[in-house]
Amino acid sequence: MIHPDRLSLTARPLGRLKAYARFMAAAFLVNVKATLEYRVNFILQFFGMMLNNAAFAAFWKVLLNRVGTVGGYGFSDVMLVWALVSSSFGLAHIVFGNVRQLGRIIMEGSLDVYLLQPKDVWLNVLASKTIVSAWGDFAYGYIVLAMMTGTELERLALFTALIIPGALIFAATFAAADSLAFFIGNATAVSSALTEFMLSFSLYPEGVYGAGLRWMLYSIVPSGFVAFLPLRVFRALDWRLVPVLYLIAGVYVMLSYRLFNFGLKRYESGNRMDARV
Amino acid sequence: MSERIAYPGNFAGSMFTYALFVFIFSRVWAGAYAGTTEIAGYTMSMAVWYFIIAEIPSFGFGRFFWTLSRDMKSGQVAYLLARPYDFIWYNFAEKLGGSLIEAGIILVEGLAVGFALIGLPPAIASQYPVGFASFALETARLGFLIVSLLLAGALNYFLQMAIAMTAFWLEENEAFYWIFQKFALVVGTLIPIEFLPEKAARIAVWTPFPYLSYAPARIAVAFSLAEAWSLVARQALWVVLALALAKVVFASGSRRLSVNGG
Repeated sequence: MIHPDRLSLTARPLGRLKAYARFMAAAFLVNVKATLEYRVNFILQFFGMMLNNAAFAAFWKVLLNRVGTVGGYGFSDVMLVWALVSSSFGLAHIVFGNVRQLGRIIMEGSLDVYLLQPKDVWLNVLASKTIVSAWGDFAYGYIVLAMMTGTELERLALFTALIIPGALIFAATFAAADSLAFFIGNATAVSSALTEFMLSFSLYPEGVYGAGLRWMLYSIVPSGFVAFLPLRVFRALDWRLVPVLYLIAGVYVMLSYRLFNFGLKRYESGNRMDARV
Repeated sequence: MSERIAYPGNFAGSMFTYALFVFIFSRVWAGAYAGTTEIAGYTMSMAVWYFIIAEIPSFGFGRFFWTLSRDMKSGQVAYLLARPYDFIWYNFAEKLGGSLIEAGIILVEGLAVGFALIGLPPAIASQYPVGFASFALETARLGFLIVSLLLAGALNYFLQMAIAMTAFWLEENEAFYWIFQKFALVVGTLIPIEFLPEKAARIAVWTPFPYLSYAPARIAVAFSLAEAWSLVARQALWVVLALALAKVVFASGSRRLSVNGG
């Protein structure tokens, strides 16, 4: 019998960290292979995402040609915010593709298959799937970046450094909403509302929201940390704030992880015969 | 219709998204109008109300494609084809009938959310400020709005039906629908066509897209009898053209259908 502490992310930090890095890399590679298996589907999804984003870009172009700025954002700001959010959101769903299914898995009592494996349950569930269309979102950000600011290496590096905490915050927030399924059963409504809120609020200029809403955008719906703050950092090419964003992402991940494990104690198996293939 | 009323919860998600969209766009418009009172002939109140009405067809009539396309691919279509009634009109009654309830709910929700956010819809410019004449105009506006929304629903249905029937040839036909949907979004849903660059606006009026959402929204926020008649007439013309297109696609597509077993 393996003692649960040995499997925890926090016990023997360095050795475990290495092992988990290997595990994440392996999960990622399997997911990439799975994606490439369905090429037509992949291309279609990719195309669909691009088209959707292009439609909104057209909307902003038309509007901003008329008025110059909205809420302090010009066209390039709006595009960069879309790029940051799109790539962060995409990365979150490429690496942690099961994050939107977590609530259903808990509700149906299908966690057993993950409980039996010698890896942290939370990480294992989240990383065991990838979402095909997320690659389109991920790539879109870089395409916009190349179009708006060119392919200057420092900007590319800063952009990449900013979307990683963004992806972690997206995944942690969605996972937290889905973890509510441990306590309230069906958390679908809460989690889809949160997804809608987070995406919708992130994609429009921060300045259009009143002060009453701002506190929410830097707490339970953290659009501020995946969109508005990264945009300011990117604009100013200010690397000093990047570690702060990683720290904030760490806090969100830790809270989400704690919430899941707190809920896990209440988990009841559905006695389903599941197999991971 | 009664099929839809049986599961009201299914529609709650759409209602939530619609309210969120209206709220965010009301903020976007507030930002856009920060330094001006009028853009392309629209005041802020007109722009917000335009968006509220223009989104109704998207939410109420925007998803026929998925059920139609699914029926085609699953072979469900075989049961309908054998029956002694017109395939396109049968689906029209079934799909549009169901969506009318949803569009009606979204309309009521839109009126409530709009009233809470920005107050009454823009008044009709009239030389008779109060009394019978303005009451008659208000009634006419409401009448034209409802007719225009119904025509937008019919046009949406026939166009989406034509796109869905490409499944007779292609398994993966979603891409056509996405292109259609995005054009509809940019040309007249998110933003009035008067906002588009002049050249683009001139081309747009010759496509069916403005008649999916621009027409009812324009009638709601900038009503004049002459323009309303013209918009509704053009919508009706496009409905006829789209029906003809659907019939042509059906006639050539259904010949290719082979039904295996039952």
